[in-house]
Amino acid sequence: MILQLTNASRVINSGSKKIALLDSINLNVNEGEFISLMGPSGSGKSTLLNCIGMLDNFTDGSYTFLDEAVHTMKEKRRSKLYKEYIGFVFQAYHLIDELTVYENIETPLLYKNVKSSERKALVADMLDRFNIVGKKDLFPAQLSGGQQQLVGIARALITKPKLILADEPTGNLNSKQSTEIMELFSELNKEGVTIIQATHSENNASYGSRIINLLDGHIVSE
Amino acid sequence: MIFNYIKIAFRSLLKNKGYSFLNIFGLAMGITCASLIFLWVEDEVSFNDSFAKQDQIYYVPTNQNYEGEWRTFYSTPGPLAQVMKDEIPGIIKATRSSPEELLFTVGDNAINKIGRHADADFLEIFSLKFIEGDRDKAFNNPEAIVITKETAAQLFGENTKVFGKTIKVNNQDTYLITGVIENLPKNVSFPFDWVAPFERYRDGAEWMTTYGSNFSDTFVELSPEANLEEVDKKVREILPVKNINSDTYAFLHTIKDWHLRSKFEGGKKVGGKIIFVRLFSIIALIILLIACINFMNLSTARSEKRANEVGVRKAIGSSRPRLMIQFVIESLMMAFFASVVSILLLLLILPQFNLLIEKDLILGISNPTHIGILLTITVICGVFAGLYPAFYLSSFKPVEVLKGIKAKSGSASFIRKGLVVGQFTISIVFIICTILVYQQIQHVKNRDLGYNKDHLIRMRANGNIIEKFSVFEQDLKNTGIVDGVALSNSQILSAGNNGSGLEWEGGTDTEEVLISYRHINSDFFKTTGMELIEGRGFKKNQDLDSTNVIITQSLAKLMGDGSPIGKTITGGDDVYNVIGIAKDYQYGDMYGSSDPVMFFNNHDYARYFYIKTKSGVALNDMLASIEKVMKKNNPAFPFEYTFVDEAFNAVFKSEQLVGKLSQIFALLAILISCLGLFGLAAYTAEQRSKEIGVRKVLGASVTGIVKLLSKDFLKLVCLAILLAIPLAWAVMNNWLQDYAYRIEINWFVFVIAGFAAIIIALATVSFQAIKAAIANPINSLKTE
Repeated sequence: MILQLTNASRVINSGSKKIALLDSINLNVNEGEFISLMGPSGSGKSTLLNCIGMLDNFTDGSYTFLDEAVHTMKEKRRSKLYKEYIGFVFQAYHLIDELTVYENIETPLLYKNVKSSERKALVADMLDRFNIVGKKDLFPAQLSGGQQQLVGIARALITKPKLILADEPTGNLNSKQSTEIMELFSELNKEGVTIIQATHSENNASYGSRIINLLDGHIVSE
Repeated sequence: MIFNYIKIAFRSLLKNKGYSFLNIFGLAMGITCASLIFLWVEDEVSFNDSFAKQDQIYYVPTNQNYEGEWRTFYSTPGPLAQVMKDEIPGIIKATRSSPEELLFTVGDNAINKIGRHADADFLEIFSLKFIEGDRDKAFNNPEAIVITKETAAQLFGENTKVFGKTIKVNNQDTYLITGVIENLPKNVSFPFDWVAPFERYRDGAEWMTTYGSNFSDTFVELSPEANLEEVDKKVREILPVKNINSDTYAFLHTIKDWHLRSKFEGGKKVGGKIIFVRLFSIIALIILLIACINFMNLSTARSEKRANEVGVRKAIGSSRPRLMIQFVIESLMMAFFASVVSILLLLLILPQFNLLIEKDLILGISNPTHIGILLTITVICGVFAGLYPAFYLSSFKPVEVLKGIKAKSGSASFIRKGLVVGQFTISIVFIICTILVYQQIQHVKNRDLGYNKDHLIRMRANGNIIEKFSVFEQDLKNTGIVDGVALSNSQILSAGNNGSGLEWEGGTDTEEVLISYRHINSDFFKTTGMELIEGRGFKKNQDLDSTNVIITQSLAKLMGDGSPIGKTITGGDDVYNVIGIAKDYQYGDMYGSSDPVMFFNNHDYARYFYIKTKSGVALNDMLASIEKVMKKNNPAFPFEYTFVDEAFNAVFKSEQLVGKLSQIFALLAILISCLGLFGLAAYTAEQRSKEIGVRKVLGASVTGIVKLLSKDFLKLVCLAILLAIPLAWAVMNNWLQDYAYRIEINWFVFVIAGFAAIIIALATVSFQAIKAAIANPINSLKTE
């Protein structure tokens, strides 16, 4: 099992009211799964992804990641954990505008203090694999949306994470580009990477091995 | 990693050219300004450093008591130097020394040179470096003179051996060159081009050997082991014993303090030019601060652009310290570029600055101290300016910024506003100070001096011009452009000769009053435009007035009620009749009130004459006519003259320098502040572009929107004005206390400065506001 949520909640204070963005979520994710989170806007898909990705915290319940209790963990350890095992893919790609394709993909390795020669080899492999060697010196603004998202995924994969979290990865793309990205995801999944994606699209969700429907912070069906 | 940061910083600079320009240029101006000031400060504090034994050398001034008040003079009695050396253990060398300007003639070359008559110890005390001749033997010959390399070159040509040659001095005496010394650097307190044995000064007149007259500078050298306090105590005891008079005592004043701490009040050292050094150092730091504030402001204002990057970097594994390092490196790079730009600016500006302040400052990029200071300034600015933005930017939470939730700008915008208020407060204080300094200088310059300084030319009475004065005077009058010629033993603007110990009818405590003596001719009052308010003037024939004096109003007042005409003043064996009263006039300290004056009708002591020319004569014609007369009557001497109004203006040199510099700094401070405001306004306009679009769609007018955008900034400037007024008032009120003759601070100055600040700020902001207001709303609304 890669992660386990037990009665996990996320409550925020809005004025004097308390609002539960996530309410008692129970979820087990095994290694090699490809999960699609579905639900209308505001149902808590992104919040759940952020909390799983440790960018945000559950306020209640327990969260175990690779047999370690995340909810009692110190910030430093937590950031080390997600640096090591989790990769993010964003709807708006979120590439760094000032960096080239090559440098964008390389950056996570810099933060992991990987040696220069090793970095070169890893980034070269990744460029090769995604067929973007020719674009390695371009800046994000010079790429199409689909290409940017490819770079975004390459950047997420460069640290060889066990888990990919993708928040509406095709939300800004046309249908042809969407299909390419989703096929890439299922390929990665076949290679053993666990994937959790949030999506509005039934079609995209169907690539997953398991669909979870959220509504107002609850899991309503699986 | 570092390389990566630098690369990103560099690209980020290039990408935001406008923003980078504002930052780098603003900071560069700050660094340039600070560098100029620090170069000046370096020069000021290194005065007299060229004298190897400066730690052991002391000037010996005297404190003299008049009317219960101690006043400090640099003049001492002639015998003091020798007596100190003989009688006070610890003093190993001592010299008398008096400055004088002499005319040197060699063949056809004739030049005036300032130098000093001094004792042989002078050469040792000041460690003069001999190129020709021998320091120990230089003064063995009573006709000796030691000249600088430059003087030797001017008289005999470059690279000529001049040892043993003779110079004709003042067209009558002969001096024998026994040494050539290295030129003195510019930053010594008493530049001199020659030194000659003291015995020839004023031909060794009798009065120079008594304790009664103070006229000579005295310098002493203490042995390295001497206890300063003990020696100083003995120095203070010596004059009252020798002079049998407790009203005058000498003391030691280190030459290290000569340049910057030579102001005395009540006989005590109370600072001096050091105040300018401190003041300008503080101003340098303030200007740097203003430049750094720009950087902080613009960086935090730009935060939303950077927030996304911060979020992504955190999401893909960056820690907060790493982000902070990244941002600080960016600002360090910015500061580095700024310092490179400032070096270029300095190369451009320094020659002009040197002209302005009349110094020879050198940039000296190869000087390790200069490099060190520049690097220190750069690093401190970079870190100081970058730290707050780094702290602020790196605090963003990835979830919030990546979701598009706007970074909370509450605290940052509060700090930003505070910084703008701070900048403008300082700038407005500068403006107010500049205006007041200018007003004060003008106020004193326009003061009624009691004489008319216009069309008045001063010349030295060289050679035998006094003996044939009547011929000379007639020749001048024959030119048709001269109204009158006056003679005087001292310059009309200067303090000159004075003394005390006179007694008069109806006086009490009279002998303590310090009175200036002026030896003049009959035309003096008419020529200089001084007013006789009672009695008569002097007769043309001075013998008819040998026991008559004219006194000034303030002395007349001291002589009690009723007209003093006909009363007598006694000084020793001499009894003088008061025949006239002149209006008080201003000399010496132009800001204070001058001592009373007694005029004697006596040509024989005259050292200067004053020529009053008719107005409306072209300057060149006038000078040509006078030169012709001079050449005829005094052919051996070069034609040299001074316009009294120019000499008067020169009196205000240091005040005027302060005035000019404060103008420059005020301008720079405002300019740098405006650069920051400009950037900030651009940012606000951009940030609110959507709001502006919506408002326009709803029907807002362009003026309405310009008002909306400008209003917030105006509030800040108004707050700055409110803070600046009391601050500036306190500073300037304090400064004005130093001047007896001073302006009242007028509230109108504050109004003007306030309006200036508002107008400047408005002009800066409205450019951006108008740009935002006339933009097509469709563009701003469809970006989402």
